[in-house]
Amino acid sequence: MTSATTPISATTPILELRRLTRSYGSLTAVDQVDLSVVPGERHALIGPNGAGKSTLFATVAGTLRASAGRVVFSGQDVTDLPESERVRRGMVRTYQHASLFLDCSVLDNVALAVQRAHRVAYRFDRPARRFRATQAAARRHLDTVGLAGRQYDKAVALSHGERRQLEVAMVLAAGPELVMFDEPTAGMSAAETERFVALVQRLPQTLTILIVEHDLDVVFRLADRVTVLHLGRVLASGTPPRIRADEAVRRAYLGSAKTEDLFIDAGEPQ
Amino acid sequence: MTAGQARSGTERHEAPGPASDTAPGGGDGGRRDLADRPVSHAPLLVAAGAAALLVAAPLVLGPYPVTTATRILAFAVLVLSVDLLTGVTGLPTLGQAAYFGVGAYTAALVGIHVTADAAAQVIAACVAGLIAAAVTGWIAVRARGIVFFMLTLAIGESVHQVADTWSALGASNGLSGMPPIRLFGSPPLLAAGFVYWWVLAVAIAVFAAVTLVARSPYGRTLRGIRDNEPRMRALGYRTAAARYGVFCLAGAVAGVGGALWAAQARFVSPGDLGFEVAALALLSVVIGGAGSLWGPCLGAALVLIVRDNLSASLGGHGPLLLGLVFIAVVFLMPRGVAGLVGARRHPRTRTEIPS
Amino acid sequence: MATYLVSMLNGLAMGSLLFAIALGLSLVFGMMDVLNLAHGAVYLVGAYVAVALVADGGGLAVFVLAVLAAAAAGAVLGGGLAALTRAIPHHLDQALLTLGVALTVAELLSVAFGNEVHSIAAPAAVAGSVTVAGETYPVYRLLVIGFGMVLAVAVYVLVERSQLGSVIRATVADRPMVSALGINTGRVLVGVFGAGAALAAVAGVLAGPILGAQPGLDERVLLLALVVVVIGGLGSVRGALLGALVIGQVQAVGAALVPEYASFLIFAAMALVLLLRPAGLLPAAGTAVRV
Repeated sequence: MTSATTPISATTPILELRRLTRSYGSLTAVDQVDLSVVPGERHALIGPNGAGKSTLFATVAGTLRASAGRVVFSGQDVTDLPESERVRRGMVRTYQHASLFLDCSVLDNVALAVQRAHRVAYRFDRPARRFRATQAAARRHLDTVGLAGRQYDKAVALSHGERRQLEVAMVLAAGPELVMFDEPTAGMSAAETERFVALVQRLPQTLTILIVEHDLDVVFRLADRVTVLHLGRVLASGTPPRIRADEAVRRAYLGSAKTEDLFIDAGEPQ
Repeated sequence: MTAGQARSGTERHEAPGPASDTAPGGGDGGRRDLADRPVSHAPLLVAAGAAALLVAAPLVLGPYPVTTATRILAFAVLVLSVDLLTGVTGLPTLGQAAYFGVGAYTAALVGIHVTADAAAQVIAACVAGLIAAAVTGWIAVRARGIVFFMLTLAIGESVHQVADTWSALGASNGLSGMPPIRLFGSPPLLAAGFVYWWVLAVAIAVFAAVTLVARSPYGRTLRGIRDNEPRMRALGYRTAAARYGVFCLAGAVAGVGGALWAAQARFVSPGDLGFEVAALALLSVVIGGAGSLWGPCLGAALVLIVRDNLSASLGGHGPLLLGLVFIAVVFLMPRGVAGLVGARRHPRTRTEIPS
Repeated sequence: MATYLVSMLNGLAMGSLLFAIALGLSLVFGMMDVLNLAHGAVYLVGAYVAVALVADGGGLAVFVLAVLAAAAAGAVLGGGLAALTRAIPHHLDQALLTLGVALTVAELLSVAFGNEVHSIAAPAAVAGSVTVAGETYPVYRLLVIGFGMVLAVAVYVLVERSQLGSVIRATVADRPMVSALGINTGRVLVGVFGAGAALAAVAGVLAGPILGAQPGLDERVLLLALVVVVIGGLGSVRGALLGALVIGQVQAVGAALVPEYASFLIFAAMALVLLLRPAGLLPAAGTAVRV
């Protein structure tokens, strides 16, 4: 349960959401959300099922288009940019269900991320293995996540936890400034979750992280700031201790009991 | 060839752990997903042996089989272009015959009106195929999967109809009167063997170039699109541009194939870019195994021999047999010849996967 | 002006036929993502049924018999194709399978009927001409236009207004959901496949007196039907109608004004529509995301 390790100062935010709204027909899943994340911050987004976390996440990442409001990244308005252009500016996401190139080797998976960042993805003047810098960088990222020994296996041969590790390697290889984790520990064993938390804690402090997560233990260990969503709106936002103590969060949800019980009950389908 | 491939494949999977830059073993043997592995020399030797056999063919075969072999080589170049789209990038197409036809007509027009120089014809056809693909391809690459497939068919058939009605191209009569090709100022190449050697040289060059593309970073990009295009976008790729690029590239390759076809036949007709040619090219890829490069070339040989040579004994109804082959292939061998070779490895890989 | 009217009427007749052909292709595609490349061959079967039964004219009764025979043959072929494609999971493989069937059927037809061009006479009772705005025009083609109008209304009522139609539309939009509701989508799919093929074969008979029958006609018809479906929007009945009318006009007017470049015009129309409306002019609800 760390408190804020990064000072949350008045720095210019790297990510800013201004009255961001996304509706499906008459249903407003994300309703005028304001949020700002400063560089180096580890920001967690929580809330029960149906709170709009996934929709908000997808709208920020560009997988979904915003219905209204703006997404500003590094001072640039990226609201109307497709996902791929946001990635090129440094906003990189992971997927709830590891999304890999299953028929390709583990190394190729990471190399695909690296070669785009290295601007050699369209070169066909020599074989890929002759692009030494790209191959070396890909191996380095695999080493970071502990998959160096499996580089020549096909991704389809990896276990669930290993696939998550590979996802992290691919995200790092894409050259991000902001990494967005979409429920990264869902379906992980306790040991795999532990390894994942340690991995994220080892990431360079300059990296900004936005994480959507059900497991509040993970959230409170990783996050500097927590934003609680409820029915598409921001209910509260602050440091983990403040969120734990927040009366509004408790009152609005159940009027009694501990906040964490609520999230766990609401988070897991019966 | 197949034995060598299978063997190098098993070696790889028996020693997966320690392999690295310095490990001598492995060898990707043309397999599509491990472009970064150190290459062993066995497949190269096999390829050299095959090339030597192909080069020696006219010395032992009569003119008729040599002509057939020439046509197979030209058709194999078309099949390679289909494989680049279908096998490598995962974009099934029925439109490549159009660019093959554009190349053939271009080469014939250059031959009739400009020069009999074969190299100039090939270059012109390559450029024409590229331009034709660039002009029409943007329509197709906006779609994916089965819609893409449908649009390529619509484009291909439209081009076919144009060739069939445009009098400047001889309309349905086709374009005849193309003089025999010359090479670098040589006298006209009248002997089937010389034409064969020229076509073989170009076909091998194209094969090498397509192999290089498949193993390059761009080839990796294309395989990434085949496996998981949304993920590619989430890695920052402009996938539509990548697909458009390979579509143009495949158009250029098909154009070269068309020039080679014209060099041998010295006659081009709308039938050369029809539905049936496109279908047979796709059938070759499916029989040969999409994604492998050598498999579809064998498929091309098989398909063309059935159509042109067995047809006579079937009363001219080779396509009937090919239609039945099509149906049988879909039911019996979903991954083609290369898939059969690869399948031998798979049980082995599975037992090694720690669960 | 009067010649233009004739072209327009020709376009309407062509559009009516194209609507009948493209409808099955579009619905089968929309409902199960099967690109039926044998659709042109099914049409050609209908055309050769007409060759076999009514090549030299003959009475209206024989013509009607030919229509019924073609419908039966089409329904059988369509049902067979549906059964075959449903046995295969992958969409590309399904398309390849129909391609194989297309080659086989077309070749069998050329074995049976030869490679020459067959012309088919309209039934004697309606083989005459009438004067329309000072120009003589074949009665038969007017009847084809009438057939198209009746078909359009009938299909509209069936698909947009009936219980069965709502199942069909829902299956186009979201097949798993319809299955989850306990409706046997399999039977609906086979039914639509069979009915669509039957319509294509009937169109083959009706088009006989206009287009005749010959090898290669299946490709041309398949191309036109594909373009109609692409222009109109996949899986959409109204789209198929609009696309058929547009392509019918483009073809007829193009053939009258610039005969050499008529095939360019078809392609240009398709390119233009895809440029402006990538999902087609009237896409079916819920399918736009696929394009």
